[in-house]
Amino acid sequence: MLAQRPTDNDASSNHLQGVPLRTSTLPIPARALLHGGFIGASSALLIAAFGTDCFYYTTSLSQWSNFSAWLICVGLIIMLIALILLMIDFAAGRARRLNMVSFALVLAAGLLSLVNAFVHSRDAWTSVVPDGILLSAVSAILLVAAGARGWSLALSRAAGDGL
Amino acid sequence: MKAITLHSIAGLTAFAVLTACSPKGGDPARQYGSDPYLPEPHQYLLPPMSVPHSVGWKSGQTPTAAAGLKVEALATGLEHPRFLYTLPNGDILVVESNSPGTEAFRPKDFIAGKVKARAGAADKGGNRITLLREVGGGSRELRSIFIDHLHSPYGVVLVGDTLYVANTDAILAFNYAPGMTQITSSGVKLTDLPAGPIDHHWTKSLTASADGSKLYVGVGSNSNITENGMAVEEGRAAIYEVDRLSGEKRIFASGTRNPTGLAFEPQTQQLFAVVNERDEIGPDLVPDYLTSVRQGGFYGWPYSYWGNHVDVRVHPQRPDLVSQAIKPDYGLSSHVAPLSLLFSQGQRLSPTFAHGAFIGEHGSWDRSPLNGYQVIFVPFVDGRPVGRPTTVVNGFLGKDNATVHGRPVGLSLDGSGALLVADDVGNTVWRVSAAQAEEFAWQTGVDKSKQANP
Repeated sequence: MLAQRPTDNDASSNHLQGVPLRTSTLPIPARALLHGGFIGASSALLIAAFGTDCFYYTTSLSQWSNFSAWLICVGLIIMLIALILLMIDFAAGRARRLNMVSFALVLAAGLLSLVNAFVHSRDAWTSVVPDGILLSAVSAILLVAAGARGWSLALSRAAGDGL
Repeated sequence: MKAITLHSIAGLTAFAVLTACSPKGGDPARQYGSDPYLPEPHQYLLPPMSVPHSVGWKSGQTPTAAAGLKVEALATGLEHPRFLYTLPNGDILVVESNSPGTEAFRPKDFIAGKVKARAGAADKGGNRITLLREVGGGSRELRSIFIDHLHSPYGVVLVGDTLYVANTDAILAFNYAPGMTQITSSGVKLTDLPAGPIDHHWTKSLTASADGSKLYVGVGSNSNITENGMAVEEGRAAIYEVDRLSGEKRIFASGTRNPTGLAFEPQTQQLFAVVNERDEIGPDLVPDYLTSVRQGGFYGWPYSYWGNHVDVRVHPQRPDLVSQAIKPDYGLSSHVAPLSLLFSQGQRLSPTFAHGAFIGEHGSWDRSPLNGYQVIFVPFVDGRPVGRPTTVVNGFLGKDNATVHGRPVGLSLDGSGALLVADDVGNTVWRVSAAQAEEFAWQTGVDKSKQANP
């Protein structure tokens, strides 16, 4: 392993890690990725569900927990659409490679929200407290972190996009 | 490729989590009687369910009766028959009804709607009462629409010359004279009953005291366990006493989640009720029950079940009420959905069924394996339920335990003492009589005695 270290160092000395330096001077048009906006929309709903869970926690008014259930359900549907579009981005050659950190954050939030959708299908108080609101909070934190990195889960063909 | 792999892992994880959480229910017999087995409650991601597929009855196919009894169809092609009532002259009233329809508040409610449709529970009710009469020595049946244009009716009781019908939102009074086959008046409202918004448990069971001065009405809760909020539970999950002359009403007993059958025990004139308990905390929780109803009594819902077993799904909790909660008299086991209560009147049907209560168990999908879907008999001694229940009519479920031919609801005894069973999936009224009782004049045209158990 030690013998390989100099090679690793060589690679990381490029200012774009893992990206071969472009030798051509011709401009390559950067095509927008399809999935990014849907990740943002889905995240907005899933983060909002944490807000409505908090209102339910403080008021015990069932309509807030109904809102949460809908937000999580529709948020997951939009996230599924986003993941399909992500695959299309790759298939169509628009995306170059996964932005692994953002992808991991969004996927983790999606899985937790899937479980959370079932937790929210329980009846009354325990549909939110404690499991539901905890899952909503963790999902919201993961998605805010993903949002801080930009909503795109992949690098487009234009160098530097998404980083 | 990575995305696809991770996606399938996600799918597999979700599947593993869900399937790991669907335990099977145990022997229902552990939950019969005054001291039922009560396991620890559980909260699920997907509550244990088993949704039977409604297939109806083939021509000539009938439910199965206990030894010495036979079953035949008295009337078919009805529109969701729920409740039965025999008038003094032997005419039989069939209340054809279903839920007035509820809105979907959550994604779950859409799924629940699909489940109901698959199990045959979503068909539109007739919103009417049909009268059945045997004419010409049993060779021919007179059938007439007795009262039409009702609003999700359920309970019916005759006091003197007044027939009371419990719509989901009010008790209506109709003038009745023996022999009538049709009532065209729209009735006079005696009192309003708690109904919409939501009207989750819509059936209003009804009976009258022996002296006819009071009516008793069962009003179900507006949710499984307060998931629609506390405000909509005001005045619900209770048994009301209504003054028959003035229409004034008061809550006679409370905490009864869904009291679907009310009847007075003939020996002691004590009011009894069958009550449907809560769902989604386990296949063996909470046992539905039969109980005498104490004036002013609180039976736990929503805060607790079977006395003081607290339900953590309710917030805020009320330990003060839990400490007063009465334990019901007799467990019927979990998720059987008892929808009717009928005390036997001597041994005309069979000496086995001389003293006790018949209960129609509609069955539900909140348990695997399925439970209920039968008519049972609970023996009474000195006005109290004792011992084990026995099955009177079953065979409503297919042998695969996954298809459903019919679901028993309302019960009544006809003029000859035969037991009538309303079946709201098979849209039939079944007549269960003694297999050797050929001397009874009350016979229907079609002889299906060969189908009964010997």
